[in-house]
Amino acid sequence: MFDDGTPIYRQIADQIKAEILGGTLQPGGKIMSTNQYAAFYQINPATAQKAFRDLVDEGVLYKQRGVGMFVAEDARDKLVGDFRARFFEDVLKPLIADARQAGISLPEIIDYLRAQEGALK
Amino acid sequence: MPADTNLKLPTRRYSIGFGVAWEAHKYFKWWFAVIIVLAMVTPPAVFQFSSTEIEVSAWEFAAYSGKIFSAIVAGTFLYTMFPNALAQGLTRREFATSMGLFGPVWSLILGALALAGFILEHLWYGLFDWNQAIQRGDRDLALDSLGAVLTHGVTYPLSYLLFFAGGALIGAACYRWDGGWLILVPVAPVVFSLDFALTRADPWGPGWFRWLTGLSGDASSPVAAAAMVVVIAALAWIGRAILLETPVRAKKA
Amino acid sequence: MSFSVTLRDVTLKYGDTEALSDVDLDLEADKIYGLLGRNGAGKTTLLSLLAAFRRPTAGEVLVDGRPVWENAEVVSRVALVREGGDFDDTDKVEAAMKSGEIRPDFDLDYALELAEKFELPLDRKIRDLSRGKRSVLAAICGLAARAELTMYDEVHLGMDAPTRDGFYKALLAEYLERPHTVILSTHLIDEVANYLEEVVILDRGGILRHEPIETLQGVGATLTGPAGAVDEVVAGLEVLAEQRLGGTKSVTVGTELDAQSRERAAASGIELGPVGLQDLFIHLTEPDRTGA
Repeated sequence: MFDDGTPIYRQIADQIKAEILGGTLQPGGKIMSTNQYAAFYQINPATAQKAFRDLVDEGVLYKQRGVGMFVAEDARDKLVGDFRARFFEDVLKPLIADARQAGISLPEIIDYLRAQEGALK
Repeated sequence: MPADTNLKLPTRRYSIGFGVAWEAHKYFKWWFAVIIVLAMVTPPAVFQFSSTEIEVSAWEFAAYSGKIFSAIVAGTFLYTMFPNALAQGLTRREFATSMGLFGPVWSLILGALALAGFILEHLWYGLFDWNQAIQRGDRDLALDSLGAVLTHGVTYPLSYLLFFAGGALIGAACYRWDGGWLILVPVAPVVFSLDFALTRADPWGPGWFRWLTGLSGDASSPVAAAAMVVVIAALAWIGRAILLETPVRAKKA
Repeated sequence: MSFSVTLRDVTLKYGDTEALSDVDLDLEADKIYGLLGRNGAGKTTLLSLLAAFRRPTAGEVLVDGRPVWENAEVVSRVALVREGGDFDDTDKVEAAMKSGEIRPDFDLDYALELAEKFELPLDRKIRDLSRGKRSVLAAICGLAARAELTMYDEVHLGMDAPTRDGFYKALLAEYLERPHTVILSTHLIDEVANYLEEVVILDRGGILRHEPIETLQGVGATLTGPAGAVDEVVAGLEVLAEQRLGGTKSVTVGTELDAQSRERAAASGIELGPVGLQDLFIHLTEPDRTGA
């Protein structure tokens, strides 16, 4: 379920972010409780708690005392913004490095991306 | 519901004491049954096949072996129950108290059984006109009336308790120390000689040993009974003191 | 509220050998702890003290802030499950379970439910159980004790993988429903890592580390790549282990890499990996390691 690399709480946080980006979790929507997360993923509830806390700090989730955790109204915009900011550095840059190692030229990559344009929207 | 059957903390040591005494009797019920049947059936059988008059109580052998049996039960039960009881969250004090109840209850029930056996045997022998007597060294103790049977039978609970206390002490010492069985050396003579004193027996054992058993042979019953109560209390107290500082042994790897 | 644990200057000697020396430890209530250590590090001794199975040679052992020794209020709510359990071998399984009723909070229904789930034959004599089933019985008794401090000392021994998995699941479910303090002593570190909140590592009778599991998981890194480049990046870092295969070198460091080193590593084609808890544990407790 989890890969060994990153700490589990970070993986959970990333997954929640992905669900918000993907639209599975809507702004204002309620998140499963720590205990539900713990039972589902078979992890210590403190680990889920830590993921939630980080997301609250980032402003992605907010807590309503006694009710639960909810997705912030602007969570999606915020995540999209963050992702945009990181996209070229974090996603494209290593990709280009890999391509260079394999001897794939820049025009080849550009051609491929052009061909995918329909899929992008 | 189970929640109701769980023991309450302040009183659980008493419930456990009674419970164990009861369970122990239940556990040995078939042994008792076999012994009762044997004691009742053997005399007529002997009479049938050898045509000798029956002159001694067969039940006495059963009742007497109950003493050794009490010591063994006390020692082995304590030895096996101690670590398990502590693993179930009992304190040493609570365990010691529950053993302190187990002993008297066990001895009373077994003593009542012994007395009932003598009375039954008295009536049984009466049917055949046999002598119910007890061999005591050179002379026999005749149980020629129900009164004599009662006088003899009532000593058993105290005897059982004495042996129980001795056995428990040995069990505790064995659990505490690897060489704990050595405590047998002082405990066994004390228990046996005192018991003989109470039952007004003649000195016994090899000559060099009679100085000890001879002493007790002279004691009159009330004095001996009082001495027994004191010794029982002392044995119990030492056993308890040993238990209170006994660690639960590590598991063998 | 469940039980916290406090050890103050605790020493325990067996004859002349010190099993624990001057141990100080504070465990908050309501967490699941992993107790790790090599054989003979003092794990079982530590647990025996917490269950009042033994009395320390020196120091104080407090559970729920109270001395645990001969304290019925406390020990009746403390359960130490030892490998193979503490049973009368001539008893039947069901009778052994029922003996838990001397605890105020023992739950027989729950025990029977678990027995069914783990296919434990109730009318079998304990001495006729396999090692695995015996471990299951011990674990069930620990769970059903519904104690405020429950400790499992190598209970998994003899259980097969699916049974262990079932046990961890049952343990977590019980914990989620009723938060209490749990200490798991085990050698199967990676198997239980996800269930733990904090880890205590014992080594040679002392506490080597006591940290949240994330801290330990983030402690080290493994760098694999061209030997020269790797050496350059790890220069000045605490090296736990190194391995060479031709021109490739793999080095495990005991410190977290800063962003700069990470960048440098990435730039020179070095593969970065985490250090598994098991590996970290092995490195930390290696016998020829000094000053650990």
